[in-house]
Amino acid sequence: MQAAQAKKIVASPFLLFEDWMTVGVGLCGQVGIVIAKTFYYILRMQIDWQESLRQAYFIGVKSFLVVGITSLFTGLAMSLQIVMQLVQFGGESAIGGVVSLALIRQIGPITAAIIVAGRVGSSIAAELTTMNISEQIDALKVMRIDPVKFLVVPRFIGAMAMMPVLSIYSMAIGLLAGMIIAQVVADVSFGVFLDSVKSTIIDQDFYVHFLKSAINAAIVIFYSCAIGLNTRGGAEDVGHAVTRAVVWSMTVMFIVNYVVTDLTYEGPR
Amino acid sequence: MISVRNLRKSFNGREVLKDVSFDVWPGEMLALIGPSGCGKSTTLKLITGLLEPDDGEIVLNSKEIGLVFQGSALLNSLTVRENLALALRERKLPKREQDRIIMEDLTLVGLADYVDSFPTQLSGGQQKRTSFARAIVNDPKIVLYDEPTTGLDPVMSTIIEDYMIELENQLHAAGIVVTHQFSTWTRTAHRAILMHDGVIVWEGKPDDAMRSSNPYIVQFAKATKDGPMLTGTI
Amino acid sequence: MDSTVRKLSNGLHPIDALDKWFSDGVQLIGQATLTAVKTVKYALAGQIDLPEVFRQANMIGVGSLYVVGVTGLFTGFAMSLQISRELAAFGADTSVGGVVAFALIREVGPITAGVMVAGRVGSAIAAEISTMMVSEQIDALEIMRVDPVQFLVVPRFLAALVMIPALSIYSMTLGLAGAIFVAQAKSNIPPDIFLDSVKQTIVGSDFVTHIVKSLINACIIIFFSCAIGLHTRGGAEEVGHATTRAVVWTMTLIFIFNYIVTALSNLHTS
Repeated sequence: MQAAQAKKIVASPFLLFEDWMTVGVGLCGQVGIVIAKTFYYILRMQIDWQESLRQAYFIGVKSFLVVGITSLFTGLAMSLQIVMQLVQFGGESAIGGVVSLALIRQIGPITAAIIVAGRVGSSIAAELTTMNISEQIDALKVMRIDPVKFLVVPRFIGAMAMMPVLSIYSMAIGLLAGMIIAQVVADVSFGVFLDSVKSTIIDQDFYVHFLKSAINAAIVIFYSCAIGLNTRGGAEDVGHAVTRAVVWSMTVMFIVNYVVTDLTYEGPR
Repeated sequence: MISVRNLRKSFNGREVLKDVSFDVWPGEMLALIGPSGCGKSTTLKLITGLLEPDDGEIVLNSKEIGLVFQGSALLNSLTVRENLALALRERKLPKREQDRIIMEDLTLVGLADYVDSFPTQLSGGQQKRTSFARAIVNDPKIVLYDEPTTGLDPVMSTIIEDYMIELENQLHAAGIVVTHQFSTWTRTAHRAILMHDGVIVWEGKPDDAMRSSNPYIVQFAKATKDGPMLTGTI
Repeated sequence: MDSTVRKLSNGLHPIDALDKWFSDGVQLIGQATLTAVKTVKYALAGQIDLPEVFRQANMIGVGSLYVVGVTGLFTGFAMSLQISRELAAFGADTSVGGVVAFALIREVGPITAGVMVAGRVGSAIAAEISTMMVSEQIDALEIMRVDPVQFLVVPRFLAALVMIPALSIYSMTLGLAGAIFVAQAKSNIPPDIFLDSVKQTIVGSDFVTHIVKSLINACIIIFFSCAIGLHTRGGAEEVGHATTRAVVWTMTLIFIFNYIVTALSNLHTS
């Protein structure tokens, strides 16, 4: 299998592209089915709340530390860059506004989502593929339990519950990093920074933030579950499934992120 | 009972089953035997409904099917109790009644002390016995075993076979065991069907296998390389 | 209450879980460092399997072409959309190109390409090597007295050193093209004005920062995913854990080192 793949790459990138397209079309169908079934069960309130709570705990705990670390360093890097630029133009008083706007509308949601895709998406894909390989999914089907209802719905509910928490947390850490940089590099006090934030940020920004994080969480859950539920084989395939889940959910997130940015623009500040 | 008529199934253009028919009566255990890739596991998956046949008919007298998976297939995120409760959940029993059934069931396989353990805390044999308990928790009239003794040591194989015989006597269900372990099909089955290349090549009592004049069963039972099977494919 | 928490965290007390997490982390950093030292030693000694390097370069480079391209393009779209609209509102149309290019080249470009390559290449390497571990292929190598680091890590490392910066530049170019397109389509900024602004703003050191960042990303991805792969034992489940671990660790470290380089390069220019 892998040798065949390697040969194909050497033969022509176009063959690989064709391969990639067919696999992608199949995956989109699988994702569509998972989405439709998930909403069917949610609308009929066939939800295992206890399991959803457990999944929310896992998703939150698994991501807490990595989301914190990456948000801190993203906040530091971004504010450093912005501060250096604004100081040149004497725009110290605008630092808070620019940093928080970028953090809340763009960088915050996508950074948190990338980490959740890497942490949660990959472990869901690995877990479900392992369950598929060890016939646990077949065992559910024999007991007439729909794997989507049993496995996907609680993960989706859990992610939807945790994502706002994670993104507020990520945003807060990013903002803290921005304040520290502004203070240390440009000698802008926390008060001036926060005043600028207050005069720039409007409620709409938070709506966009939560909309983006909810969409991103849904993308991660649906893609990684669809990939996990449709992968069979051995140990090797668990690894492939993880790679596919991460790559697909991140790619789709980047595309959707742009579309949402475009649709939610409501005029300059 | 299980009634299978003219079953056909192919994967990616390769015909795995070509016209397979047989019946299994209540109280009877049928062994589906044959070399790897002969189509016996596919037949089992078709009967459970995990796969759809291309052609042919499967008639079951009961919707209640117990299936023992080769790798136990217990849900690792749930305890033994929760795994069994999952199989019971369609019956919507009161909690006390459900617990009673689960404990009774686990006592039968000698695992009553492990009711709140997670599958990963159990040994391979204990996991297998839990998966037995799960398969029979609804008193199924059809019990299917997928390679129940493959990969186990000879002593554990004998213990598992003893459980199969005991369950057979208690449940009076129609059973199918898919295996290629000699001791398993000769000890547990009343009747055996040898499959090769997607068709049935021999059918009879396990005791008659060694005395048969059919070249397929003689080769399979004696495990020799001289015979009609696998020649030229290795 | 305590028992619920224990059940949720699979039988481990949260403090013990944190303790385990921390010691695992320290152990992994040690393993990655050892792998790095051995790799560089073999590479400097010239013990290199060139055909294998080319094969790996093909896998890493061509295999990531589409995902890195698509994400680079859409990052360019999104950044240009946001920046051009804000700046156009202040009548600063002429500086849009400079700001977008600066952000793409120094910050967003390397990190976007970095996380995509971590997701695509890092996870694939961890999956491949941990599968080799659990199927005893690495044991077989060691019995034949072949060092798995020399056999597996060195070619991947050399290939990544060439291909990951190349992918990064390719992603940046596509991002810039996307940015020019969106600036024209959404804010009516003609491409030549955009490019004039880029030329005025961007200096050689911006490209140096870009290349340095992508080289560091390459090292992080290769050493951590190889080290994780080479220390995995068990079955299919562990291959999944190893792959997840590789993705999380490489991405987190890419974010951390990205900041360090940003800070150092700003120190240098100011």
